[in-house]
Amino acid sequence: MASISTSKAEISYIQTGLLSTPPLRADGRGLHDFRTISLETGVAPLANGSAHLNIGKNPHDGGGGTEVLAAAKLEVETIDGQSDGVNGGRIVCTVSCSPSAYPHLSAPALDDLQHDMSTLLHQTLAHPSLHPPNLGILAGKKSWLLNLDCVVLADAGNTHDALFMAARAALWDCKVPRTRAVEYKAPGAKAQREGESGEMDVDVDAGAQQSGFDTRSIAARAVDFELPDYWDEGEVLGGRDKWPVCVTLNVATSPSGVQHYLDAIPQEEAATPLRLLLVFSFPPASSPNLHAMRILGSGELESGQIREFVASGEKYAQKMWDNALNGKLKEEDLRRGQKARDRVYEAVILLYLLG
Amino acid sequence: MISFASFPVQPERASEYARHFPDDDDHMDLDDGDFEAGGSKITWPGETITSSQLYMRGHGTYVENEEVVASVAGTIERVNKLITVRAIRTKYNPEVGDLVVGRITEVQPRRWKVDANSRQDAVLMLSSVNLPGGVQRRKLESDELQMRNFFEEGDLLVAEVQAFFADGAMSLHTRSLKYGKLRNGQLVTIPPILVRRLKSHFITLPCGVDLILGLNGYIWFIDDSTRTAISRVANIIQVLASHFVPLTDTLLLEAYEWTVENDTDAKGLLSEDVGDALVATITARG
Repeated sequence: MASISTSKAEISYIQTGLLSTPPLRADGRGLHDFRTISLETGVAPLANGSAHLNIGKNPHDGGGGTEVLAAAKLEVETIDGQSDGVNGGRIVCTVSCSPSAYPHLSAPALDDLQHDMSTLLHQTLAHPSLHPPNLGILAGKKSWLLNLDCVVLADAGNTHDALFMAARAALWDCKVPRTRAVEYKAPGAKAQREGESGEMDVDVDAGAQQSGFDTRSIAARAVDFELPDYWDEGEVLGGRDKWPVCVTLNVATSPSGVQHYLDAIPQEEAATPLRLLLVFSFPPASSPNLHAMRILGSGELESGQIREFVASGEKYAQKMWDNALNGKLKEEDLRRGQKARDRVYEAVILLYLLG
Repeated sequence: MISFASFPVQPERASEYARHFPDDDDHMDLDDGDFEAGGSKITWPGETITSSQLYMRGHGTYVENEEVVASVAGTIERVNKLITVRAIRTKYNPEVGDLVVGRITEVQPRRWKVDANSRQDAVLMLSSVNLPGGVQRRKLESDELQMRNFFEEGDLLVAEVQAFFADGAMSLHTRSLKYGKLRNGQLVTIPPILVRRLKSHFITLPCGVDLILGLNGYIWFIDDSTRTAISRVANIIQVLASHFVPLTDTLLLEAYEWTVENDTDAKGLLSEDVGDALVATITARG
């Protein structure tokens, strides 16, 4: 992982501080305190959903902190033998790390790092248990491919938590365009109702359909789709409240005891290489789900401790989920709705002024 | 425990800046040639400083359309007919005799490479260190073989700039009991321009915190006071640095007293309003 150059003296200083009573960290935070997290959604105009997240930005000059951009982009895939398209759509997650975030890493090491992060994100988010219901377009013919691309622009520690939070925000923000199935018909043939996917609007406007399509290939009875409204952003991605959050428990061990803490800065990460990643989601009216669990770094944990860590990790994730992230996402939705309304209002005034 | 914030809104910021500099025509018009009078003039990239026929261009400037134009943001300096701009955000510019805190990056034959926040890595020759315990080193081959016992990669040290090499890299020395390896403490990094030259860069604050103010912007806290005090001073330095306030020992002490008076702990300093209040008070006094 990202290991900046640290002397043995600093490492022992940080470890002693973490394991002392009361525990002390370099910036005076408590063991389970996060730095301030800044979040904004809808930052990439060309993406279907996007988010910009920063952990630990200096409030005074706006610099520093772990910076992650996440963007979800939908593209249409044909379902046939050759391409990877599957019925009901699929999700592909990719993480890339900016070389400026890891100036000490060589290009192959950076590739390894982003591959590791991509694998973790993809395996967790592309799992069937989280699959959104509305990524299909036409059963057996077309579906949406959701590309979730995350970029780590700066690493000031705790990248995994930032990645998952940004991914959740971008997917929360993601809008799937509404589609309408259409069919090719021979001129004069009786309008047949195309009803193979229940949730999509069925094209009933036979006149418009005839005028818009080449009807020479009568026999094929091929089925395609169209976007009923170009300007409409579409409906939200189904099951958007299911996307999980990650909590990284950094584990400091010494012969005298074990201590875990959250939201490590790079120096702390270098001093305590053992990390436990826990990815939770909290569906309403049922018990929490654990989606992924990874132990990173060198070191060992007793199996009894794992149970304890999972229990405390669930508590932290719940706090992150309930109090903070969901509230913030709803606030962002409101803010952007307000912005859109303002824009419409401005446009109306402009039109009025122009006469 | 965990809190979310929004990113600052950009357009409002822009108007704020516009209000701060309502009369930049006055700043632009420096052709009269009074650079030295009335303190330093601040310039920014792309600003025309003066005519290239009257003055020579120095560091931080270039000539376009017979005019000297700044290429960095900083203060304009003039020596006779030479105009230079000293950049605000820059790497450390070493001078002989400066006290620096550095980190070993490489062990090479008879020398160490040291990161001292400068453009190039500094060099610490084996011949310019004192052995542990202040023993003068005699030229022995065994020393060369056990260089990692003195300093290894990642180690922090305090040293003095001794000389420069032909390529501009600095050569350090630790031939004093004051200098050498740094153990048991915490490092804080700030822009080097904010460290003022002081009588002594080994500072002991009355609150019990000892620190070494490296002129290269690396600050080392020696751990023999309480750690809460260290965190508090470290966060004060971060806050002052992000408001671009140059550091002195008296300023640090005043800031520390302010935090004690206002009952602010280290964590509280990280919040925006507390930091702003601190800087407002301190700069008003100074």
